[in-house]
Amino acid sequence: MTTTPTKAAVPKAQAAPGAHIELGRIFLFLGACAIGFWVFFEILAVVLKYMPEPIGSRADLFSSGAKQTLVLTLTAGVFGLIAGVLAGLGKLSKKPWIRIPTDFYVWIMRGTPLLVQILFMYYAVPALLPWLRLNEFSAACLALALNVGAYNAEVIRAGVQAVPRGQREAAESLGLSSGQTMRWVVLPQAIRIVIPPLVNNIVALLKDSSLASTIGLLELSLAGNRISSETFMPVPVLTTVAAVYLLLTSALSIITHFLEKRLAVGRRN
Amino acid sequence: MTTKNASSEPMIVAKDVCKSYGDFQALKGVSLEVAKGEVVVILGPSGSGKSTFIRSVNFLEQFQSGEIRVENIKVESGEALRQIRQEVGMVFQSFNLFPHLTVIQNITLAPRKVAKLPEEEAKQLARELLHRVGLSAHSEKFPDELSGGQQQRVAIARALAMKPKVMLFDEPTSALDPEMISEVLAVMKELAKSGMTMLVVTHEMGFAREVADRIIFFDEGKIVEATTPQKFFENPSHERSKLFLSQILKR
Repeated sequence: MTTTPTKAAVPKAQAAPGAHIELGRIFLFLGACAIGFWVFFEILAVVLKYMPEPIGSRADLFSSGAKQTLVLTLTAGVFGLIAGVLAGLGKLSKKPWIRIPTDFYVWIMRGTPLLVQILFMYYAVPALLPWLRLNEFSAACLALALNVGAYNAEVIRAGVQAVPRGQREAAESLGLSSGQTMRWVVLPQAIRIVIPPLVNNIVALLKDSSLASTIGLLELSLAGNRISSETFMPVPVLTTVAAVYLLLTSALSIITHFLEKRLAVGRRN
Repeated sequence: MTTKNASSEPMIVAKDVCKSYGDFQALKGVSLEVAKGEVVVILGPSGSGKSTFIRSVNFLEQFQSGEIRVENIKVESGEALRQIRQEVGMVFQSFNLFPHLTVIQNITLAPRKVAKLPEEEAKQLARELLHRVGLSAHSEKFPDELSGGQQQRVAIARALAMKPKVMLFDEPTSALDPEMISEVLAVMKELAKSGMTMLVVTHEMGFAREVADRIIFFDEGKIVEATTPQKFFENPSHERSKLFLSQILKR
């Protein structure tokens, strides 16, 4: 067969239309990201150690706080993405018994403060459901995931709706079921549309995770707050906290920028 | 009816099909039979319901009353619909190729996912079809690397990959630059010659005259005239058809 001289990135003769090989690549990419973050924290810990007082002697607290913040963000981010996809598709459902509960969920989560949601999850939920015992991390993680999930849902819904109607019609006129049409035609195109706004949500989530300090989760901002009141040196301490947040959000943006390029293997019109 | 190669058994039977959008009645009781192997061209002014009708045949438009049968299977939502859609290929005005898939992936998607063909078989089929539409050299390209005419030929190949018994063409050349129209029409002519049952909405009078077994003229949601191309173009029996022709041929 003939080959095209263009586009070195175009995968040749792959198994499935698009998806399988992309999935493999994504896992590879996520692995690389994990290693990247590990290296990032190693370097961060060393750099902080050589900072002047009061940072240097408390470098461990800073870097463990930063790790906690990142783990919290990524865990809540993954669950928030799952919640967002489910709720986003739910909002598009024709069946009212699916659509109405998802609309209700999004309405509640977007209409109440995240701080209240975190406090509710930690203090009120155990009172309501005594069998459910949430520690600080799982309460914060659950609240953050449900919150970002609601925002993701709107993004996913908009992304699916942004795929031209003709795409769905072409797929269905070929005999694809609506599930197959979603899986092979609509979602792969929607993903390209929704990545930038989803990144936005993740960056916001990372910053919002500082609210978990209110229920005593020792993440970056609580660590900073403690050191600050211990040392009475708010300026260097809080500056360091802000700088670490900035590093983390920048790293997330860079990673997702590459992810965006990876996923853009096929192009849009 | 003078039909070249049509057998008596109808492929498509539409009875009194009605469809409205709110107050606007797009189809006001359309009845039509299309025989096996017949090429039917639907003409008519914009908004006369011809696209709505052709889209009703594979239920992309849900009509409110009346009945359409394809090979005696009723067109309605439900299990049978996917079966009908596999037997009815459709080509759209705006091509609607899948932009995230290469040409060959566009063609093999439905054979693999719907007809469950093994990958190699699907690819072989796709290569044959690409050869048929004259695009063998472009199988690994993405749709946006092709011209409009090439994209539409890929779209035809994609529809043919499900081995349909009927092909619907909804203004297949209306979005094309003039010099690309003929390459698409050539593919359609070849398809007609091969004995495919075709229902074609178009403004290409030359194609209608040359290829059609029958011309159906639509106006205001109804069939005004159904006759042979010769009679329609040389001696139309309705005032509305005469007006339409005079305006079209004036160009």
